This record gives sequence, structure tokens and C-alpha cells, in this order.
Amino acid sequence: MASAYNPIYTDVPEKDVFALHFLQTLSNLRTQNSFSSPDNKTSDRVKKIKKAAYVSMARAAGGTNRLWSRSLLHQAAKRNNKNVRFLRRKRRVTWLMRRRSNRGDPIEDVAAERLRNLVPGGGGMETSKLMEETAHYIKCLSMQVKVMQCLVDGLSPK
Amino acid sequence: MAMHFEQPSCSSPMLNWPLMNPNLSQYSPPQDCFTWEKSTEQQQKQSIFDSALSSLVSSPTPSNSNFSGGVGGGDGFVIRELIGKLGNVGNSSATPMSSPPPMMNRTTPLTEFSGDPGFAERAARFSCFGSRSFNGRTNSSLPVNNSKIINSGKLTRVASTPALNSLVSPMVPAGEFSRKRKSMTKGKSKETPLPTASPAPSFSKTAEEKGGKRRREDEEKEDNTKGPEPPKDYIHVRARRGQATDSHSLAERVRREKIGERMKLLEDLVPGCNKVTGKALMLDEIINYVQSLQRQVEFLSMKLSSVNDTRLDFNVDALVSKDVMIPSSSNRLHEAGLQAESLSHHSYNNNSQLHTNVSSSNMMLQSPVNSLETSTLASSFTHLPTLTQFTDSISQYQMFSQEDLQSIVGMGVAHNPNHESQNMKIEL
Repeated sequence: MASAYNPIYTDVPEKDVFALHFLQTLSNLRTQNSFSSPDNKTSDRVKKIKKAAYVSMARAAGGTNRLWSRSLLHQAAKRNNKNVRFLRRKRRVTWLMRRRSNRGDPIEDVAAERLRNLVPGGGGMETSKLMEETAHYIKCLSMQVKVMQCLVDGLSPK
Repeated sequence: MAMHFEQPSCSSPMLNWPLMNPNLSQYSPPQDCFTWEKSTEQQQKQSIFDSALSSLVSSPTPSNSNFSGGVGGGDGFVIRELIGKLGNVGNSSATPMSSPPPMMNRTTPLTEFSGDPGFAERAARFSCFGSRSFNGRTNSSLPVNNSKIINSGKLTRVASTPALNSLVSPMVPAGEFSRKRKSMTKGKSKETPLPTASPAPSFSKTAEEKGGKRRREDEEKEDNTKGPEPPKDYIHVRARRGQATDSHSLAERVRREKIGERMKLLEDLVPGCNKVTGKALMLDEIINYVQSLQRQVEFLSMKLSSVNDTRLDFNVDALVSKDVMIPSSSNRLHEAGLQAESLSHHSYNNNSQLHTNVSSSNMMLQSPVNSLETSTLASSFTHLPTLTQFTDSISQYQMFSQEDLQSIVGMGVAHNPNHESQNMKIEL
């Protein structure tokens, strides 16, 4: 893949870190008791699991060091009404937005907008930073998918 | 090697430099200085130095008037220091101003040349190879620019320029370049490695001290595009030949290059991107890939949720307890991998969670395990044929840890059961 010398750091931890986080999150879910009660709709459970997957991925991939993980955790925390622990980055965001308006490559801007909608936390980033985050996000997503796949394979009835 | 200077006493000695040294690369005067680094031949150095000094000496004083205050006192000092270092190279130089101190080294500013302000000016002019004209240069903030040179690894090539860069940059018309250097008129020939050089350590050390915080990115562009990245304020880009050189377009180009580089990175990640070329299509591919990954996550989470509950809950517990053990056990087992990652990537929250999980899931685990029938376990983990007795919870864990992890998360974790049992005993 990328050469050894890469100033853009996009290393992700190994699979087991992801696995660990995911399982921890799942067990947390379970202990919350909303899981085991059968009157839950399936979709709710699915959503919970999905959220657990993303949150655990964000944590595993570097906590608040990465922009996308940071915003993911932020969103999740907000939904849970937890306190926001992160540093406010508002000022930087506005500065970047102002700067971004000067740029103009129409072709890439359109695609960049779509990407921003996809990658969490992409709204306040410059295009180059966005692409870094996307690269890291892709790596983490694929790792998470692998973990989940293994889990499903292991747990599904033979 | 005799360097002769057919140096007419013209008013722009700098422009004549290319004519003067046919043996060296066709670059200009500063290149002579720069080439000093590379050379290991004393003689060459000496000759170069001789030639440099003589040209400096011989350049006429009337040209000083061109410097409308472009070189302040600080500049002169800088230049003198540089020249002093150069002087150190060729000890046998016969130029009038050289009686260079025998100590070649790094930290001694040269005072010999202090008596010749004209020389300093000429040297400054001489060093401004990048700029086309010296008119209207009034920048006297030269000392400010002497921030340190960063990369020792790059010193051989960078160091040649930064000290003089710092001389050059003020010369550059501020409005146009705003710290971006203009390309040489000869285009990219700067990238050619300088054939001869002064002793690298002394010269580069000089530059290091002086500080050239600047780095000529483009010079190294051929070798490593984004070079070693010492923290610096600006990225210095050289305008390429035949391209617009105003700051906006330069910035634009820098940005585009950054994006291009990251696109390459993404290309490696996204499978099947090789056939697609062009930014727009690539971006579309990337977006599709991200969307597909996200859909996969959703689909898998649906599947997970549909796994029957008891099994999931129980298994999650079991696995979590094992996994919780794993970091601690793997501390002994995998020195580098997991430990580093888990420790580095876990926030302290996670660690505390880990600890609480250990205790809670241990307790939770023991009861279900002990009361569980072997059949359910066996059905869920078909790889555990030996799981028939629950006498020893530790051996139970042993089974789980080895096989669970291998089967479920597909990890080829080669746990040594003995170690694990030890650790689990401790944990329990």
C-alpha cells in the first residue's frame, strides 16, 4: 500500500483492538437491559448495534485524535445526552469555512461535498484534510466490517 | 583546477557568474557556494572558494548603489559569517580578504570580513541567484529570516540554500512572492545535485545556526515530494517554469498537489481504482466505496441483532471477559503489537472500563458457565470438542480464549494456554 515514508499518518490498529472495543460496547449494551427484553423492535436493536459498532470503531481507531471519530463520538454522546467532553473547535471550523469558500475547483468540489456528507465530521474540513480523514475512515471501516463479519460467522448457527 | 574569472567589472557581477565557471554546473554563483557542500575534494572547494571570493572582490563598488538599503547591517553580518565559513574551506586562498581563521568551525562568526561592507553587499547580491533584479529591494528583515534549518538529513542540499535563502528571500519582491521563491530563469535545473560542495558539516552547521527555517521544498521535490516535515510556518514552493507565479496561483497549486497526493493514497485503499483516472471519477469511486462499507456495517449489524439473544448475550460476555484478559496476557505474549496498540489507542476511559469489566464479567461469566450445559456451548462453538467439564473455570477460559478468538474474530492469536491460565488465575 502506501510507502513506508508517509507523512499522512493513517495507521489503524489491529483487528483485535477493534474486536475488543466492539465486544465491550456490545456487552455494555447488554448490561443496559434494553437489549434482552423481547419487546424491542428489531429495528431499534439494529440501530443500537449499529451505533455501538460505530462508536466502538471510533474509539478503537484513535478516540478523539481523529476528526471523524471525534465528531462521531460527539454525535453519539449528544444523543445520549452525555456531557460533551471535547474541546470546542468552532473557531477553527469557521475559519476553514471561510477559507474554503475561496477555493474553487467545481469538479472536485461537488464530489467533496458528497464525501463530506458521508464521512462524519467532514463539514468543517478542507478538501485535503477531508481526504486524509477519508483514508483513515475507510481503513477503520473495513477493519470494523471484518470484525463484524467474523463475529457473525462465529455466532451464527452452524 | 583553476578557475578563472574573466570577470569584467560590470555592474552586475551576478549575472556573469554563469559564464565564469564552466566547469561547474551552469548555474549561477550561488550554486558555487552550494556546490561546496557536496564536494569532498578539498581542492575543488578551494578553487571554488577562490573563485567566489575573487569574484566578490572584483565586483565593482558602483554596483553597491543598486542595493538601495537592501542589505542591512544584519545582512552584512550574515553574509560575512557565511563567507567566513567559506573562507574556512580554502585556507590557502589568496584573495585579499581571506585570512580565514584556521578554525573551520561551526560556531565562529567570521570577523575578518567585517571590515568590508561593500564586500558584504556584493556577497549578498551574489547570493541572490534567484531574483532577477535587485531593484527596489528594501527588505531589511534578513536576520529575522534566519531561523534554523531543520533537517540534518537534508542539509547537504538544503543547507546550501537556506542560509542564502534567507538572504534571497528578502530580496524577492515581497508583494509577489510572499515567501515563495521564484524559479530560476533556467527552470528546474536546480534540482540537479550540486556537483561540488564545500565541507558539508561546517557549512551546513553555519546555516543551521543561522537558521534557515525555510526549506526549498521544490528542490527536493524530485526525491521526496513532501520531504521530512519539520514544523514550519510556510511551505516553500518554487514556481515552475512557464507557470504563473503570483501567490494565489502558487497556493492553488500547492493545494492541488496536496489533494493529488492524498488521492494517490486513497487509490491504494479503494480496490479497483486503478482503472479509473481523473479526480472526479476517482472521487466517485471513493464515495461509492465508503457508501458500500457503511451499508455493509449496517447489514452486519442487522445480522448480529438477529442472532438469537441468549447466545449473543452469553457469548458476548464470555468473549468480552476473554478479550479483557487478552491485553493483560498479551502483554506478556505479544510485546510489540497488541500492547502498543491497545495501550496507545485506549483512552484511560477504556482502561477503567477494562478493569470494571474484568471484575463484573468474571462474576457474570462464572455463573453462566458453571450452570451452562455443555451442549449449548458445544453447539455454538463447534471447535470446542473438549469442552465437557466445568471443573476448572480456568481451563474453560483457556478453551474460550484460544478457540473463541480464533473462530470468532478470526485472529490467529497464538496464546500459550499455560500463560493464559496463569494470568487468568491472577485476574480471578
